[in-house]
Amino acid sequence: MSEAAAISIDDVRDEAHPLVDKDLVRWHLIAAVFFMFTAMLGGFIASLQFLNEYPFNGISWLSYGRLRFLHTNEVAFGFLVNSFVGMLYYAVPRLTGRRLFNRTLGWLIFFVWQALVLLTSIGQLLGKAQAVEWGETPTGFRPGTFELNYVPVDFLIEVGAVLLAVNLLYPIAKSIHKRLYVSLWYITAGMIWLILTYVMGNTLPEWTLAGSSGGATAGLYIHDLVGLFVTPFGWGLMYFFVPIILRKPIWSHALSVIGFWALAFFYPLNGVHHFLYSSIPMSVQYGAIIATIAVEIVVTTVVVNFFGTMWGRGYALRQSIPIRWFYTGMVFYFTTCLQCSFQTTLTFQEIIHFTDWVPGHAHLVMLGVFAFWNMGMIVWLWPRLTGHEWYSRRLLGWHYWLVMLGLLIMFLDLTAAGLVHGFMFKNMAPWMRIVDSLKPFWWFRTFAGAMIITGVSCFIYNLWMTAKHDKPYDYRVDLVHDPKEAIANG
Amino acid sequence: MDRFPSIVLAAAFGCFAISMLLSALYPWAITDAKQPEASIADVAANITEEFAELKRAYPVSFRQKLGDAAAAADAPLEAMQAAHAEALQRGRDLYIGEGCWHCHSQFVRPVANEEARFGHIRTPAEENNALQRPVLWGTRRVGPDLTNEGGKRSNDWHVAHLHNPRSTSPGSVMPGYTWYFREGFQVFRRIDPNKAEVAGIDPDTAYPYPGLYDTEEEARAALETIKANLDPTVAEEGDRLFVREAVGPDGDALCIIAYLQWLGTWFPEKPTEE
Ligand code: HEC
Ligand code: HEM
Repeated sequence: MSEAAAISIDDVRDEAHPLVDKDLVRWHLIAAVFFMFTAMLGGFIASLQFLNEYPFNGISWLSYGRLRFLHTNEVAFGFLVNSFVGMLYYAVPRLTGRRLFNRTLGWLIFFVWQALVLLTSIGQLLGKAQAVEWGETPTGFRPGTFELNYVPVDFLIEVGAVLLAVNLLYPIAKSIHKRLYVSLWYITAGMIWLILTYVMGNTLPEWTLAGSSGGATAGLYIHDLVGLFVTPFGWGLMYFFVPIILRKPIWSHALSVIGFWALAFFYPLNGVHHFLYSSIPMSVQYGAIIATIAVEIVVTTVVVNFFGTMWGRGYALRQSIPIRWFYTGMVFYFTTCLQCSFQTTLTFQEIIHFTDWVPGHAHLVMLGVFAFWNMGMIVWLWPRLTGHEWYSRRLLGWHYWLVMLGLLIMFLDLTAAGLVHGFMFKNMAPWMRIVDSLKPFWWFRTFAGAMIITGVSCFIYNLWMTAKHDKPYDYRVDLVHDPKEAIANG
Repeated sequence: MDRFPSIVLAAAFGCFAISMLLSALYPWAITDAKQPEASIADVAANITEEFAELKRAYPVSFRQKLGDAAAAADAPLEAMQAAHAEALQRGRDLYIGEGCWHCHSQFVRPVANEEARFGHIRTPAEENNALQRPVLWGTRRVGPDLTNEGGKRSNDWHVAHLHNPRSTSPGSVMPGYTWYFREGFQVFRRIDPNKAEVAGIDPDTAYPYPGLYDTEEEARAALETIKANLDPTVAEEGDRLFVREAVGPDGDALCIIAYLQWLGTWFPEKPTEE
């Protein structure tokens, strides 16, 4: 271990030949923040449709349906992929002591990926989406005919993901350490799952399986994209950043291994829970329900592990904004998964399925957990990448509170709206009565969205000004320390 | 390569494979594998009444989109079936591209009084057709379920609703799809002024004749044809005919409506017992 640490630190100091390519990391983060903002703006505009205050009535390519594709796809492929890749380019070389496979390949992937995300959005605005939720990337041709009607984005993304895997798995395969840290387990598996999931979700439902078995695979895709791509990368990076910032090892390595295996086994069995009470055979539906409840146990082990790590370092929540983002995200993660194990039951499904409860849940997990973690990681890395002290630490606080409270309002509001919808529906209220009853909730959602966008704007302004001004960064200001000791030392 | 954790690779590939086995291959094997997927031609073979009516009411848009062969008044059945298949395919594609499926489900569940509200619950065999690939169940209902929409509303209702949902359903939050409508010229007949007075209706009220023409000349020619063919007993109606600018559905809108009117009307043949 000490030998490894020596190598990596020497490498970091070798200016001409750094271990981590900071430019590549920085540009991925810039792209991530850009797409986070455009995706949120898309979501915000989409939310105006529900108020009948839509600003772009009559403009086909800016209509609600098409903007909604853009919203979810830019979140997944523009924001989360870019941000995760940037973080992995930072973490993997440090964990393995090896550089990426090829720096030029890294830049190639960067540019190709941004082009693909833009082509996805443009295709969706032109009405070329594919009917797989969260995989609405245009196929480019009708299966079976091969006459191009658009750029075959699906296929190009598959190629891009394979190249990314080469770049990232190479240093892991050549690691200077004999045993791989748990982060690398998650990252290796996540990289492979990303490819498998994407290929599966973009071929089976559209090319071969119609109807109920197509529904089973489409459900699998929605779920795997969250569970087998976003979640492993997210936890892998948490296992990397949290011990660094708290300056202590993870509480229990045994628990982390249990968490990994249980995720690998149970998560992919959940897919069908998106279509309960459907024409998919009931035995398969029950299987998915049981697996979903099992996931809750997995999640508990992981969350316990992280709170065990935090034990005795509670002051870090006040001192370190990244830690605050991470642990808020973990509380929301636990909440989401607890919610999962209830809402997957047939009793809950009857009422909440098809209602606003579902977007409430989706925002809690995608924004409240994974976007929070990524924002926390960006906060941690940005001064290190630019070498500049934050322009304003106060604005970092505003960013946290506006986004956190905005998300909380959005979640509670949509959950309540879902219950109102579900019970009115069951009680046979006429459809327009239901719609009218939901409008106040939809106003609140838009308000919460405005809070979130304001918070994120503070963040972007802060990132920009930090990059521009020239006060050097001293990493010691961010070291968490026991306040009692500080007093004792005078 | 020797240090590469093969156990992690096993976890990644192995667990994924197990999940494919349990939640894709197995449900497929006990449902859809038992019968071939119905093609678009199969599901379009039964022409809905509404589709034939769309052709009569919007002859110009119909011809522009679906071709002369089917647009002819005495089109053979095969031509109409081919046009129906094309309309369903196109309508389905637009339904996907516009994201209708993010606001409407096609998935009636056997709970929460859904059968009473939306009707028939589809069986796996009824789902197994080319228009359900990718499956359009949806996960969100901002608007009602459309599984059995076919025949529930008239074509005219759908035309008005697609153009501006607020016109038929005040307060609706569905977008208006005005870009599937075109401007042109149409023949109208003003109502009988005497009748209007008796009934207290605005005497400028006028009723359209089928056919939205691109140029005024075409519309005038249509007006003359109508006039020439009027029943002699109502010949004076010819004087109340006039041409004016109007908006009507284009070929794409007809395809969307044909698709909506088809939903829930197709049932596979029962597999023959051996
Ligand atoms: C923002 C969500 C939204 C989108 C997108 C949307 N709808 Fe709707 N739709 C609604 C709502 C709400 C209603 C109920 C009120 C009404 O009748 O307008 C509705 C009603 C309907 C109805 C009437 C159902 C009935 O019989 O009562 C049809 C048909 C329909 N929509 C078709 C479509 C089609 C086709 C598209 C895509 C081109 C579409 N909708 C897109 C929200 C939406
Ligand atoms: C400014 C803040 C945001 C607003 C106003 C907003 C608004 C919306 C709206 C209106 C929908 C459609 C919901 C429906 O179909 O009923 C939606 C869906 C979704 N959004 Fe957002 N959004 C915001 C931020 C985000 C962020 C940051 C993420 C992820 C990191 C995200 C992830 C999603 C997902 C996954 C869905 C699909 C949910 C589903 O259909 O179940 N959103 N959003």
